[in-house]
Amino acid sequence: MNSPAVELRQVSRLYGSRANGVAALDGVNLACPAGTWTAIMGPSGSGKSTLLHCAAGLDKVTSGRVLLAGQDITAAPDNVLTHMRRRVIGFVFQSFNLIGSLTAEQNVAFPLKTAGVRVSKDEVRQALAGVGLGDRARHKPRELSGGQQQRVAIARAMISRPAVLFADEPTGALDSGSTKIVLELLRAMVRQAGQSILMVTHDPAVAASADTVVFLADGHIVDRVDRPTTHLVAERLARLES
Amino acid sequence: MVRLSFSTFRERWELFLGAILSVAVGVALVQASMLILIATGEARIPMGLSRQDEDKVREGFVGAATVMGMTAFLAMFLAVFIVGSTFAYTVAQRRRELALLRLTGGSRHQLRVLLLSEALLLGLVGAALGVPFGVGAKYAQTWLLIEIGLLPDGFTAGWQPWAVMVAGVVGAGVALAGVFVASLRAAKIQPLESLRETGAASTVMTGSRWLIGLAFAACTVAMAVWAQGANLIGAMLAALGISMFGAVAMSMLSPLAVPFMAWLFGAVARGNTLTGLVRANLRDAVRRSAATAAPLIVLISLLLGLAGTFASLAAAGAEEAKRSVNAQLVVTSTGIDADRIAKIDGVAVASTQTTVDITVTVEKTQNKRVIEMNVYSGIVAVDPDAYARTHNLPPEVDLSGLTGDTMVTGPARHADRIPVGTVMAVDAAGQPLSLTVVGRMPETLEMGDSFLIPRQTLPTVVLEKGSTETVVRVAEGQDLTVVARRIEDAGFAQVQTVSDWAATRAENAQDGNVKVLTVLMGLACLYALMAVINSVVIAGVERRREFAVARVAGLTRPQVVRAAVIESVAVAIIGLTLGCLVAGAALAGIGGATNKAVGTVVVSVPWPLLAVVAFGSMVVVALTSGITATMATREGPVSLIAAHE
Repeated sequence: MNSPAVELRQVSRLYGSRANGVAALDGVNLACPAGTWTAIMGPSGSGKSTLLHCAAGLDKVTSGRVLLAGQDITAAPDNVLTHMRRRVIGFVFQSFNLIGSLTAEQNVAFPLKTAGVRVSKDEVRQALAGVGLGDRARHKPRELSGGQQQRVAIARAMISRPAVLFADEPTGALDSGSTKIVLELLRAMVRQAGQSILMVTHDPAVAASADTVVFLADGHIVDRVDRPTTHLVAERLARLES
Repeated sequence: MVRLSFSTFRERWELFLGAILSVAVGVALVQASMLILIATGEARIPMGLSRQDEDKVREGFVGAATVMGMTAFLAMFLAVFIVGSTFAYTVAQRRRELALLRLTGGSRHQLRVLLLSEALLLGLVGAALGVPFGVGAKYAQTWLLIEIGLLPDGFTAGWQPWAVMVAGVVGAGVALAGVFVASLRAAKIQPLESLRETGAASTVMTGSRWLIGLAFAACTVAMAVWAQGANLIGAMLAALGISMFGAVAMSMLSPLAVPFMAWLFGAVARGNTLTGLVRANLRDAVRRSAATAAPLIVLISLLLGLAGTFASLAAAGAEEAKRSVNAQLVVTSTGIDADRIAKIDGVAVASTQTTVDITVTVEKTQNKRVIEMNVYSGIVAVDPDAYARTHNLPPEVDLSGLTGDTMVTGPARHADRIPVGTVMAVDAAGQPLSLTVVGRMPETLEMGDSFLIPRQTLPTVVLEKGSTETVVRVAEGQDLTVVARRIEDAGFAQVQTVSDWAATRAENAQDGNVKVLTVLMGLACLYALMAVINSVVIAGVERRREFAVARVAGLTRPQVVRAAVIESVAVAIIGLTLGCLVAGAALAGIGGATNKAVGTVVVSVPWPLLAVVAFGSMVVVALTSGITATMATREGPVSLIAAHE
């Protein structure tokens, strides 16, 4: 078994005061081994996004510990977290989150440039070609379709070869054709580059692409399926929601 | 980050357009004002003028230099303010985008650099535009200063090569100073905010906003309290300070007034769906409302504060002049003809006061060196006995010694501190005299006379050429109007009551101030106009999606536009109200100071100006908002709602 790329130990996240607060996460333990793809599912308000944010260091946990690529980031200062975002982790979201004023290639090169790393045009073009957008390098996000924008976001996440990719509903705004392409790209990241993915989704077919599916309800991990199928995931989810 | 600044700038130029124009106008005005200021220092007095007229031209140069100095200062203050509020607003609007930069690995420092380089770019573009604008502004300002009489005909200000340097430094400096606070706020944005749907800041009244708002409010209150016990010059400076500090304080604290205004609006316009939406928008978009209200607060504060201050000072001057005279009529005439007035039936006492064209040489100690200065203006020949009987002289002034070769220093020379007993050299139409100072008059609100000299001491030829004011006390039991008519019938055309004379005199004394104010008011209006249009346009451009949602929800396009216009007008009312509060504080300060100076509170509120500005700003806001909303709703609502990025 590989050492965990992401590890949550007894993590709780409370919103509001201790007396009247709502626990979005309550004593969650989760370990995602390096080179694996983990999907998180659950009904609305179960704490999926909070788990992803806490694991990526975007949100502070109320108690417990978060380890990212072996490093404890629970109380890490801003500069350490900034460094992690530049070199260790990447993000892909439902709303693409591309910088509207930059072209596709500028968007892809942006994280490395902010980190002060020299990046050649060829490298950027290669990354875009890798997601099938070699001919769209000079287009701005608004000139691309939703699927194409998401592929640019994936190329941006891939170029710095992050150890862990955090994905929140990465196919939520895409048609079935684009969804298939994006899932293939994510699978290639895990299989070929040995990167890890922690993904939140509400779609059983998408979750079935992962190695493991973790089910969350009321801030607790309530179930787990390895080598999932669409049918199995849908059945477990239906049971949770009923 | 610099490349990103460039592309942001290119992409979202409409966000920065107002700020660029503000910087350009600021640079142009600073550059033009500096050139004119330098030119007034080097200017020559035109040939062939009388010495009094030469003095007037000289005073005009000083006045013009003061106006230019104040213009440059005000232009920079307003430009920093507008750039600051533009960036504060754009940071709030771009929160999601900035958080995204943090999410993709941008550090806090890099975010600060991004905004500072955007500001630098803006400043340089503004400066580049400002230099040619400045050439035009120089001609316009020179024309204006000649037109209002501060500069003589034919005055020109030359071009100086350093003006371009000044423009560049001012442009960049103004933009960087304006963006500084916004860059600090931007650096605090957390990456997680990029995942929020709204993209707008949740807390409007941030810690720094509270701190700056309360600190400036405290300074404003302190100045208003201090002004109560200050002299008039102090109170005037305090009024300027109150207007500026109060404007910043109210702009910072204006989000607190928005919910109250929304409530009031709801109470007035109950039951209408459209006004319901407007009320909800007002409450929801507190930051947007505050950004639109800010320039109006500045406009009203400065305009009403300063106009009210000068008008109050003029009124106080008139009050003081009226009180200084213990008589009923003032007759203005020339030559020595006025001697006849005392003999007219019904006149108890007539004090003939002739302003004469002679030279008094004053010795002044400046930087431990004794310098000689010739005074030509405000030298008045009086009959000391009649003067004392027709004036309420301060208790410390005694004119009984004003006989023979003597003189009394007037209010205008009080600051020179010429001691009693000093012998002054006087040139009266070529006749040298040595007059001993036998008394000193205290300072007054108006500048007043320089020296009083007994009429008998001066040669008749001097008195014949002077202009004369005769202060007349009507004999007891005589009808004022009858006596006035008798004086007119005796060949004196200009007979005024003391009240009218005092008012005219105060108006003339304030004339220079009014001219200065006219220039500054024009400037403040120009800036406020740019800033209001800027914030309304930014708000409109950023609200395209919101307008589309409203249309999808069932509103027609005209209804959406109408709602936007009503909202903007409501915000304008907030700005006007808060601006009036600040101006009120400035006038309260002046009221206290005039009370101290003349024994009664004299406050003059410029109501017509307030009405014109209030109406004008509402029209501008309504028009801009209507046009922007119409343009923002040009596209079909569905295409906007479907777009993600």
